[in-house]
Amino acid sequence: MNAATVIFQRLSESFWLNCKLFGLTLLFSVPLGFVVAFGSMSRFKPLAWLTRTFVWAIRGTPLMLQVIIIYFAPGLLFEMTPWGSGSSGRLVACTIAFVINYACYFSEIYRGGIEAVPRGQYEAGKVLGLTKSQIFFRVTLLQLVKGILPPMGNEIITLIKDTALARIISNKEIIMMAQEYASKGLIWPLFSTAIYFLVFVGGLTLLFGWIEKKMDYFRV
Amino acid sequence: MPVLEVQSIKKSFGAVEVLKNIGFSLEKGQSLAVIGSSGSGKTTLLRCLNFLERPDGGRILVNGKTVFDAAAVKSQSEAQIRQNRLHFGLVFQNFNLFPQYTALQNVTLAQELLARSQPDYQRSKKAILEEIRTRAQGLLASVGLSNRMDNYPHQLSGGQQQRVAIARALALQPDILCFDEPTSALDPELTGEVLGVIRSLAERDTTMVIVTHEMAFARDVSDCIIFMDDGRIVEQGTPDQVINHPQMERTKAFLSRF
Ligand SMILES: Nc1ncnc2c1ncn2[C@@H]1O[C@H](COP(=O)(O)OP(=O)(O)OP(=O)(O)O)[C@@H](O)[C@H]1O
Ligand SMILES: [Mg+2]
Repeated sequence: MNAATVIFQRLSESFWLNCKLFGLTLLFSVPLGFVVAFGSMSRFKPLAWLTRTFVWAIRGTPLMLQVIIIYFAPGLLFEMTPWGSGSSGRLVACTIAFVINYACYFSEIYRGGIEAVPRGQYEAGKVLGLTKSQIFFRVTLLQLVKGILPPMGNEIITLIKDTALARIISNKEIIMMAQEYASKGLIWPLFSTAIYFLVFVGGLTLLFGWIEKKMDYFRV
Repeated sequence: MPVLEVQSIKKSFGAVEVLKNIGFSLEKGQSLAVIGSSGSGKTTLLRCLNFLERPDGGRILVNGKTVFDAAAVKSQSEAQIRQNRLHFGLVFQNFNLFPQYTALQNVTLAQELLARSQPDYQRSKKAILEEIRTRAQGLLASVGLSNRMDNYPHQLSGGQQQRVAIARALALQPDILCFDEPTSALDPELTGEVLGVIRSLAERDTTMVIVTHEMAFARDVSDCIIFMDDGRIVEQGTPDQVINHPQMERTKAFLSRF
């Protein structure tokens, strides 16, 4: 094996960490975002107020800071080590910070989407005797999904690029790996990390285009 | 016994009293037209009947049975409200069809979901769904849309959409079908087809409450007319009484605009 092949192999391995963080974050934050959205729209004012303040705080501070706090705070403040040791613990802490952060961003998109579904749709459902959950799942959800698809696409593209922040608590993601080569005087691995991101984002763009096309059969 | 009895319904939004002691009754098979100037409370009245607004006072009876009583409102569960509102159907001014469903699916959706609570649903699912479908097709045909069943709302004209909405409301066989200005969101050349459908419903003795600004239509189709002004019923009677021989000054003033 020549040196370049080895380097690409190691870059690919470290990009797998970016992918894992991406996948896990989506898996948890997409549903959690709904919980946050409903909290922020709750008719119980203290809950709505509390949720909105939390969302504001998360959206108003750098993700990098949140990652560091989640990782270090339990140990420094309470002398607890909930994340376990080693690389898996660092990935868990990072994932949790990402999930919270992205759930808050998604919740705002969901809230906008939910509020954009005309009142008449809920009322038509009610008048037809549907239950609240039937109205949500059978009437408004698909309209909502169609409405939020473009902003969700943007956010998810940002997410894959944000995974590079994982390095801040020493997760060996791809750019960190490439930088090690750079510090040894080898610059091209750093440039080639861009290819990974570009291909990934290209795939996402195609995917979202495809979903949007799939939902083109109706107009809201 | 009247199919619908509305007794001293009151409704305020904040400090504004929108309905002040509304009472009337309606016999089975009759249609009632509600006329009145903008802001007089017509829509609010229909929304109260359909449990979209909760009146602050009064009672609503269907076939002699109390479906709403402001004095006992706390004891009504979600499920009861849902059950009671099935006595009523509502056709909205702006249709409110579900955009992601075809005309046929719009008509069948609620019935399909309601059918799930039938005891024999699991056993005879196929037959039940087939029956719902067949009935829905019949309803769409009866509003002149047999060749539009598989179209989505955005592929239909306003008049066609409103006719789907009428079929959708009829599918649940409500005791009283309510219309809130069913043609006022339509281009003038499309009102005729919708009014035609409502007219034929009246001829088949569908019990209806129709809020409308179409005076000629109200006169021709209804058995009884209510003129509302400022949250009150100012005058009620046969179309001949109210439209041709109004007694009250305010009715005369309102009608003179047409
Ligand atoms: N949800 C609400 N909150 C506050 N005020 C309301 C609300 N709904 C209706 N109103 C007020 O109640 C009054 C009656 O409204 P309503 O819609 O019942 O009138 P309408 O007779 O249907 O008028 P139009 O002919 O214009 O449709 C109006 O003054 C309106 O501003
Ligand atoms: Mg109105």
